[in-house]
Amino acid sequence: MAKYVLKRVLMALFTIFLVATLTFFLMKAVPGNPFVSEKTPPQSVLDALNEKYGLDQPLSVQYFKYMSNLLRGDLGVSVKMQKNYPVISIIKEMFPVSAKIGAFALLWAVLVGVPLGCLAAYNRGTATDSTLRVVCTVGISMPSFVVASLLLIVFCGGVVGWFPSIFDGSPRSYVLPCFSLGFYPMCYIARQSRAAMLDAINQEYIKTARAKGLKTGKIIFKHALRNALIPVLTYLGPQVAFTLCGGFVVEKVFTIGGLGRYFVQSVSNRDYPVIMGTTIFLASFIIIMNLLVDILYKVVDPRITLGKES
Amino acid sequence: MADKMKKAKFGSLQLDVEDVISWSELTNADFAPASSQEKENFIQDRESVSFWKDAGRRFRKNTVAMVALVILILVALFAFLGPVIVPYGYDQFIAGSENLHPWHYTLEDQEKLAAAQMTPEEAWAKAQEEAAAQGKTLGPVDKAKIMAAAKASGGADTDELRKELGIRARLFGYSNAELQRKAAGESVFPHVFGTDKFGRDIMVRVMIGTRVSMVVGLSAALLVLVIGALYGSISGYLGGKVDAVMQRIVEIIYSIPEVLVILLIATVIGDALTSYVNSHSGFIADMANVLGANLISMFIAFGLLYWVTMSRIIRGQILQLKQQEYVTAARALGASGPRIIKKHLLPNCIGQIVVTTCLQIPSAIFLESFLSFLGVGVSTPMTSLGSMASEALGGMTTYPYRLLFPALILSIMILSFNLVGDGLRDALDPKLKK
Repeated sequence: MAKYVLKRVLMALFTIFLVATLTFFLMKAVPGNPFVSEKTPPQSVLDALNEKYGLDQPLSVQYFKYMSNLLRGDLGVSVKMQKNYPVISIIKEMFPVSAKIGAFALLWAVLVGVPLGCLAAYNRGTATDSTLRVVCTVGISMPSFVVASLLLIVFCGGVVGWFPSIFDGSPRSYVLPCFSLGFYPMCYIARQSRAAMLDAINQEYIKTARAKGLKTGKIIFKHALRNALIPVLTYLGPQVAFTLCGGFVVEKVFTIGGLGRYFVQSVSNRDYPVIMGTTIFLASFIIIMNLLVDILYKVVDPRITLGKES
Repeated sequence: MADKMKKAKFGSLQLDVEDVISWSELTNADFAPASSQEKENFIQDRESVSFWKDAGRRFRKNTVAMVALVILILVALFAFLGPVIVPYGYDQFIAGSENLHPWHYTLEDQEKLAAAQMTPEEAWAKAQEEAAAQGKTLGPVDKAKIMAAAKASGGADTDELRKELGIRARLFGYSNAELQRKAAGESVFPHVFGTDKFGRDIMVRVMIGTRVSMVVGLSAALLVLVIGALYGSISGYLGGKVDAVMQRIVEIIYSIPEVLVILLIATVIGDALTSYVNSHSGFIADMANVLGANLISMFIAFGLLYWVTMSRIIRGQILQLKQQEYVTAARALGASGPRIIKKHLLPNCIGQIVVTTCLQIPSAIFLESFLSFLGVGVSTPMTSLGSMASEALGGMTTYPYRLLFPALILSIMILSFNLVGDGLRDALDPKLKK
């Protein structure tokens, strides 16, 4: 177990390192000085920046300087959007907003998706099953910006004005962003848990449980669901990433001041230090989430031999 | 025949084989030509069913997948033939046709409406009459209020007035100038989906956007197929240490959050390419210019990151297949590794390859629309469904259909590709069906 965890942690660290390196060299590939925009900053600022990141030095030196800055949590300063404001502070301010919406979205996706999947599996072949299947197939075919903007048209004044169209932090304004962000994962989870549940229901131990005279509810929730949840769990790790990135779109549609929207704005404004810092931060976050889920997966399912590929 | 062998001794347990041997002796009758009846026995009753025919039959039985396929063909016709038929260009500003709705009112109806509508002066006169009847007089402040109200309430009032007058909106958008030309007997192509604020025909733009999405989806899937198949088959065939190293690389790439990196690559390579195109000339620069820097960087990102799933699937297949006898036989005959992979292994996992490629298309379309929506997809003046949806966000309450049309086509297209992919999977590999 310890060996497996250690191996995964080392690999995650290596991946983070790789992303940071990739980011660094990609930024170097950008023509011109990354700190110079249409409005060139004053020479003193430019000199300070150049010195801080050692832009006058050879590439290898620059790389090590950048990496050591990174290790100390120094992601540089914004050059265009909020001049000379540290990127790490921007992340500290904006990330909680995105994370909150993402967490709510994933929560409802799991809490609704898994029961729906079980329902469909248990009523296999009935109208309930086919309805749910149609809904879920349509759901995974709709990009999140389509879902978000359709909701915005319908519920924010187009047909009914139940929700504010601009995010203001009130509980009501959370509803639509969380719904649209969680819709795709919900459909995906429902599909996955349906398949997993079907697998589980056909196992021998379920027949045994039924032969013993257990109630349906107990069979489903106590015996089948536990095993059906394992594949769903593996899916959740990458889903964290998807939800965060889907957040880019949803935050744009609902004008939410989160990290996703800021990242997209920095991309279109070509604010390279912000792009760089945010990419490394989000990437590390996602990789660590994946790592946690991976380890959790092995803990939950003792049948899986640790440290070996199945 | 003449000198028969001795019979076995009495009491011997030796078999009497004489009769048995004579069974296989050929007589003259055996060399007689076959009768027509005998010949008929050799004719196949029905043709042997090949793998593809079998799969095709299963696919055709799948109603959902067939409907999805038909829809896909229709969408493709819409995207590739449509712009030929519609006389407007996707980047053509049609002066005088800005902000048209996908419906119009005939010129007569418009006149009727104008005649029925009260001007602010009439509203003032009416209000004065009413006030006089009640014995009141209205001051200049009231006058300003009433006239402003009459001016401002144009929208709501007009809708009600239209209902009263029985004026109905007609299908398709025409500007007034176009309506007059039409009345003069010219044939004017309608703006079926209306126009945007620059007077560009939305239908043509949706067609071109669909075309971009389809081309991007197909070519990205092919790119993924080539890289994934190569990598997966080499890794699976060689096995051992090579496989272990290659799989570590796959695992690392798998855990990189690809959307982030693609955004990054799209931005950076886009910038680098743009400056390259601007400063260089020649074939490569021209190509880059035609395709657009962002589109190229998207393909590069796809080529770098998205082949992982494909390579895993193919590796798994090859690991199983390479244990088969025919591979051993081929190797014993001296076939080289590349030849075995090309001639024996890959053709045998063609089902998996086709299905995975087909399911890769919607995910590529997803990604392209996502990037375009965020503004790092195709570059202007080229358009795409994602960037159209992004542009439409601004006037969403007034012109919801500007978002609805591209969003609808995009969703239908992705849904159909998904359904066709599922159908193909069921048809090519019935074991996988759940």
